[in-house]
Amino acid sequence: MRRQQAVAAWILALPFVALFLLFTAGPVLASLGMSFTDMRSTDVRGPLGVEFVGLQNYADLIGDPLFRKVTVNTLLYLLLGVPLTMAVALAVAVALNRITRLRGFFRVGYYLPVVTSIVAVSVVWKFLLRDRGGLLNVMLDWVGINGPGYLDSTTWALPSLVAMSVWRNFGTLMVVFLAGLQTVPREIIEAAEADGASAWGRFRYITLPMLRPTLLFGAVITSIGYLQFFEEAFVMTKGGPLDSTKSVTFFAYEQFGYGNYAYASAAAYLLFLAIVVLTFVQFRWLRDKD
Amino acid sequence: MKRTITTLAVVAMTSLVLTSCGRDNDGGGGDAQSKAVSDGPATGTIEVWAMGTEGEKLQAFSADFEKANPDAKVKVTAIPWDGAHNKIANAIASGKTPDVSLIGTTWMGEFAEAGGLMPTPEGLVDKADFFPGAWGSTEVGGTSYGVPWYVETRALYYRKDMAKKAGWSKAPQTWEELHQFATDMKEKGGAEYGLNLQPGQTGSWQSMLPFAWSNGAEVTNQDGTEYTLDTPEMAEALDYYSSYFDEGLSSTRTLDPGELESGFADGTYASFISGPWHTGLVEEAGVTQDQYAIAPLPGKDAMPGTSFVGGGDLAVFKDADNTDAAWKYVRWLSEPETQQGFYDVVGDLPAVQAAWDTGKLSTDPQLQVFGTQLENTLAPPAVPTWEQVAAMIDSLVEQVSKGVTSPEEATKEMQSKAKSIGTGL
Amino acid sequence: MTQTVEAPASLSDEPVRRKPPKRAGRSLSTPRWLYGVMAVGLIVVVIPFIWMVVSSFKPEGEVRAVPPTWWPENVTTENYRHLFTQLDFPRYFLNSAIVAVAVAAGNMVFCSMLGYALAKLDFPGKKVIFALVLGTLMVPGVVTFVPLFVLTTNIGLTNTLPGMILPFLAGPFGVFLMRQFVLSLPDELIQAARVDGAGELRIFFSIILPLCGPAVATLGVLTFLTSWNNFLWPLVVATSEDKYTLPVALALYAVGQNATKYGLLLAGSVVVVIPVLAVFLVLQRRIMQGIAMTGIK
Repeated sequence: MRRQQAVAAWILALPFVALFLLFTAGPVLASLGMSFTDMRSTDVRGPLGVEFVGLQNYADLIGDPLFRKVTVNTLLYLLLGVPLTMAVALAVAVALNRITRLRGFFRVGYYLPVVTSIVAVSVVWKFLLRDRGGLLNVMLDWVGINGPGYLDSTTWALPSLVAMSVWRNFGTLMVVFLAGLQTVPREIIEAAEADGASAWGRFRYITLPMLRPTLLFGAVITSIGYLQFFEEAFVMTKGGPLDSTKSVTFFAYEQFGYGNYAYASAAAYLLFLAIVVLTFVQFRWLRDKD
Repeated sequence: MKRTITTLAVVAMTSLVLTSCGRDNDGGGGDAQSKAVSDGPATGTIEVWAMGTEGEKLQAFSADFEKANPDAKVKVTAIPWDGAHNKIANAIASGKTPDVSLIGTTWMGEFAEAGGLMPTPEGLVDKADFFPGAWGSTEVGGTSYGVPWYVETRALYYRKDMAKKAGWSKAPQTWEELHQFATDMKEKGGAEYGLNLQPGQTGSWQSMLPFAWSNGAEVTNQDGTEYTLDTPEMAEALDYYSSYFDEGLSSTRTLDPGELESGFADGTYASFISGPWHTGLVEEAGVTQDQYAIAPLPGKDAMPGTSFVGGGDLAVFKDADNTDAAWKYVRWLSEPETQQGFYDVVGDLPAVQAAWDTGKLSTDPQLQVFGTQLENTLAPPAVPTWEQVAAMIDSLVEQVSKGVTSPEEATKEMQSKAKSIGTGL
Repeated sequence: MTQTVEAPASLSDEPVRRKPPKRAGRSLSTPRWLYGVMAVGLIVVVIPFIWMVVSSFKPEGEVRAVPPTWWPENVTTENYRHLFTQLDFPRYFLNSAIVAVAVAAGNMVFCSMLGYALAKLDFPGKKVIFALVLGTLMVPGVVTFVPLFVLTTNIGLTNTLPGMILPFLAGPFGVFLMRQFVLSLPDELIQAARVDGAGELRIFFSIILPLCGPAVATLGVLTFLTSWNNFLWPLVVATSEDKYTLPVALALYAVGQNATKYGLLLAGSVVVVIPVLAVFLVLQRRIMQGIAMTGIK
């Protein structure tokens, strides 16, 4: 019986594993090796000629004040962004699941931020966040609050980008949660309602537990996404003001741009370590009943 | 545990392989110029990469070359500017390059040092034909690796109607005059900001360094092996630059796309420094020709001031299949008539000085301003690490503009950081 | 996770009968106020998209105006005309479509296969593979770019559509998604099928796969979107313009060395978005159909 399973499993796994070994494993190992050298873009035609420097890049990174700063920024993005995105996505998914009319219409609508061109998104959000004349400050003005220049302030720029990011990305997670919610059998919920359970109670004791694997997926994916935060800062603030919105990925991207391939790889692998640790923690917490 | 050991073993093995070879100092910077090209017309296929509008129009434009060289065929592939640096770097890495490519002037150092570019052949072109600042962008470690194709430089755009109101009938000629000009524009001309300078962030070095250059500061030593940023001239220029922000003559905000042009049109920003592409942009934003004017940059104590020169160079790759014909194509593109013709089609300013002697380039007053400025320009050093050092300078310019660091401290920090990065040559 | 379900009536030769869930009256009705809240939220969420569409009909100068205008002062179709005449639009569209459909389809198939195996089957190497999959997911993409390109060149896949498809055909994201989804399917179903004598692969194709409708559809949409919008990889792989995909072509014509044609960029963005929305609309109905399948009788 077990052997039959094993054979079937390997047949099912084969296409993926083959493609994976070729296109993913190889480059990953190569770039990992690269992080232990002093390779620069000027070495690309003779890559075997680089010097092996061991953990020097990693040591330099930890000593680099900019790298330390971007690490703190990235952690902030993570801590603010993940819970917010998951909460919004879950709330919207649950609501969309309950609605019976115009479902398709609402679903497409809520998914739109994910597909709207970043150019359009940045224009509108910049308008929203402008110091004078920006929509947000105009509205705050009505209640007598004098709002700051969000994207020009070293304190407000990062939270503003988190808000924009939540807005932009919850749609993807919403779609995933919707799929997950479909597997919660309606009868059980109806039975619970017939038994007198409240809406919140139904949600908490039936829906949420059944959603566990999906929630774990959501948490892991969203965390990985936020730890690699890049595009919004790149378009809106270019990492500023004064590097307050620069993330580790942005840092690595810049270093790649300068041609410091090995240094950039090392930064990326430090990020990788962080991701691994966090994912491990999340797997334990939203315990995966395998 | 077992998995960790396996991983470590793989990594160790990979590293061992890498240690066994050493870096040979081949390729880039300081090579001799290539042998001269053959006589006679070009033959074979010439594969060309070009970005943007240049890329779009070059194929049709090259028909004349094909007529003069019937056995040659030019194949142009247009590639986006966005990501072009990445694409060329990858092409060099994999050895799959075209014959010729347009290369951004600030990329030459890196690609030459990577061994991707071929030194210019002896006698192909006369360097005196080109604007000296532009030629400088092709020289890496004393060797020329390409030929300037088109150039752009920066001049002072200002609202001449507002200037008149503020009592200025002609453009400022010295640093002191510029400062006064900006103050008057604000106090009497009705502007909110007298002069818009970039307060840090990407590319602000292109705004700041010209002032340093006008003051006689030099970024590197003669052969480009060391940075020389910590000089009184640099500190002075940085101090002058930051004074605009300290006195509220320039905004410390980074402007959004379109904001400068809209602000120029409604008088928020009375003047700014930029290149030829901005004429189209401000006119699209509604500024009329009699409302604005362009003038060469002020010098420190007298004209002329030194400006930034950018644009594009043409280079032939080491891994190219048809280098002989490729260089002949490059030579053709550098002829004055071709340069002028190209201006007519694409609007790029020619890098060859003779091309400015006839046609629209010699008569249009706005173009003439840029032509005059081109005689006094400098390009940043064509060294491999320039992008990184430039970004570091941007960061310090931001700190100085926002009052976080003093110009003297910034200059010192600039030098120490640049020293640790090195020039890469 | 256990849940009480009744074993399927008869399994051996017929696919599972899907019976619509019995509803004892409309007990789960949707509160009115929810529609109101959702509508408000919708407006907040949709504004930039609307701005994008509306602005694509503005002339270039107006698009860049600060503060941005909402309704166009001069309505023009010049951006679209520019888009369709200057660019070899059909070719780029076709390239993008082929690549995106292939990548989405490939992922939908391969990832469900492996996802199921990881979730429900017992086999040697299972933990290793899952760790590898997760590991890859966690490596920042920027890092593997150059080695991947060198590899692709050495295989001879530069400037080919397969070169744009193969590296993304087996995505760790999809495997992870499918595994988590399949985990929530009841084990009893599979046990019963085994007891009935069905082969492992048969179980996968006839029983599990149909139940995975929502997840596979979700995976399809998300993968299609990522592939369709992919810019950097097709840019680097394509060395001749006839292999460009839409995002690359759009960047070529709209983004200059010193200035960007925002009008053209927006028009292009609108056109680029339409297929994605179409795919989403078609597949999201598939996700909805999942309702009919819960209540496994």
